[in-house]
Amino acid sequence: MISLDRVNARAGEFRLVDISFEVPDGGYGVVIGTAGAGKTTLLETIAGVIPVTSGRVSLGGRDCTSQPPEQRGLGIVYQHAYLFPHLSVRENIAYGAASEEDAREITERFGLGSLAERSVDALSGGERQLVAIARALARRPSVLLLDEPFSALDPRSRNSARRLLRAVYEERRFTALQVTHDFAEAGLLGDVAIVLDGGRVVQSGAPEIVFRQPASAYIADFLGAENVFAGVVSLAPSDAATGSWSVSDEYAQRALVFTTGELTFFAISDVAEGPAHAVIRAEEVSISVDDSRSSIAATASMSSVRNQFRGRILEIASTGALSHVTVEASGTPIVAAVTGVSVQELGLAVGKEVGVAFKATAVHLC
Amino acid sequence: MAGFLLGMERAATQSTPPGSTVASRAVLSVIVAVLSSLFLLFIVAPMVGVVSAGGAKGIIAVGTDAELRAALLLTAVTATIATLLGILGATPLAYLLARRAFPGRAIVAAVMDLPLVIPHPVAGIALLLVLGRGSPAGAALYAAGIRVAGSPVGIVCAMLFVSAPLYVSAARETFARVDKRYEAVARTLGDDAWRAFRRVTLPLSARGLTAAAVVMWARAVSEFGAIVILTYNPKVASVLSYERFTSYGLSEALPVAAVLVLFSLVPLVVLRGLLGGDAGRWWNGGTVER
Repeated sequence: MISLDRVNARAGEFRLVDISFEVPDGGYGVVIGTAGAGKTTLLETIAGVIPVTSGRVSLGGRDCTSQPPEQRGLGIVYQHAYLFPHLSVRENIAYGAASEEDAREITERFGLGSLAERSVDALSGGERQLVAIARALARRPSVLLLDEPFSALDPRSRNSARRLLRAVYEERRFTALQVTHDFAEAGLLGDVAIVLDGGRVVQSGAPEIVFRQPASAYIADFLGAENVFAGVVSLAPSDAATGSWSVSDEYAQRALVFTTGELTFFAISDVAEGPAHAVIRAEEVSISVDDSRSSIAATASMSSVRNQFRGRILEIASTGALSHVTVEASGTPIVAAVTGVSVQELGLAVGKEVGVAFKATAVHLC
Repeated sequence: MAGFLLGMERAATQSTPPGSTVASRAVLSVIVAVLSSLFLLFIVAPMVGVVSAGGAKGIIAVGTDAELRAALLLTAVTATIATLLGILGATPLAYLLARRAFPGRAIVAAVMDLPLVIPHPVAGIALLLVLGRGSPAGAALYAAGIRVAGSPVGIVCAMLFVSAPLYVSAARETFARVDKRYEAVARTLGDDAWRAFRRVTLPLSARGLTAAAVVMWARAVSEFGAIVILTYNPKVASVLSYERFTSYGLSEALPVAAVLVLFSLVPLVVLRGLLGGDAGRWWNGGTVER
């Protein structure tokens, strides 16, 4: 377990302020934040490389606040590997290994056997990162800290390294905390997501919650939510007229309407009426066309989906198999993520009139 | 100067129309080349002059002149001892200055540069005051059977005083160049601070530290001002060349001077060749790449 309780630390002019979060035993935490948010400082504070000025750092239930790094039973892997350049691959992996057998086993497992006697200067970026991960794992740490370990790798090496690390993690179930700026990676890996900004934790929780229900428009924007609207929340007409079952309970979910510019849509939330932001993930937005020749039926008007609008396609941006289609509805651009096949089958093109739809439950108000 | 000229060149490039840019650059390049060559000539010409005028005689004198041989041996031994003491005492200080933020760090760094800026005879007088028999420290050393003034110990002290700051400065830069995160990784791999220093920082700094030690040794070998105040006799090579000059004139001083130039140059050149890489860059630039 990694537990931080109101931790304050200082690295030069930068400060971590009142950091509190917990990654359970055997859990995989991900730290997300922009450059300069304090992600690396946070890891180094947990590692004991940067001293804590106040608060408490506990690892595996043990208070480690004043322990030096070598007594914390953890490993750290930096973005730039920091392999010892005066040592060979084998010597790097064996540097702090729990045993020779552990070093040998992890070397073979990571496919580094043929590189063992090489100088680390002769390695590719992907190989260097694998050696750095292997070196940390050879020590059999109970906590592994990973500072964007895959960010400098090409997609193929990244997937391979991620897979190898994941396999060891599944087997050994150490507690991991990984810094990433890639939310897809965070969602893929993490049990707990910690969003850091300006040296403070601005949100933490299960990745899907952080992803779907960001605590602020800033987080939503940072996390890459394509549809973030500023507007005003008010009670849905039916609730306002009849007095809903939920109105008396200030924490209960209520049917609300959100108005942004000319566009008004339904949402279910417990937020108070007044100014707010609405976040809708592009994956939650569907597109339909009134075209009987289309192989996909245009059923939006007959569905339970509460929010349905007509609009024209402004832009289609293709990123591999996925396309982001921007539709202007009542003067507001709404982005939908659809497959390339759908784009073809629906005959989507810039300027074409289409229907866009998303459920009230897909709208996150913050 | 070169930086100033490059700045001028940049300014000229920015402010002149494109048509005249090439001509301006050519003129500035010629100015830079001429000034650099003149400066290089100013440094090299005296040494070449001494070696060419007295080199052959000097080499012969090494075989025939017992006083010169003794002076060279004394110089080499005392410079080596001073350098070893410098490495021992100044390496931790250089590491602290490079790695740790502590109150008064800037003052300590400035104090370490002081011997470089004060006239060396003044350094000798200061050392005589502190380590001479009339001082408490000098008296204590004398009581322990160690005479500083007028002995090889005094030569070592003078050499250490004037040349150690060069080692501290270079060693500090060398340590600063080794990313702290190597140590951080070593610590998380089970090393305590000393073990991480020994297994990681020291090997990664070895070339720079060796280069720093060589520079310190060469500076110690060439020291005259502080030594002549503290220990005129026994004579090191620099004092001998001075004595020969004042007593017998230029022709007698030249062979000793030429041997001393070669004596100082050869280890630097050889070590630069041996070390290459970092030391070469350090030696080339006089500043350190980060």
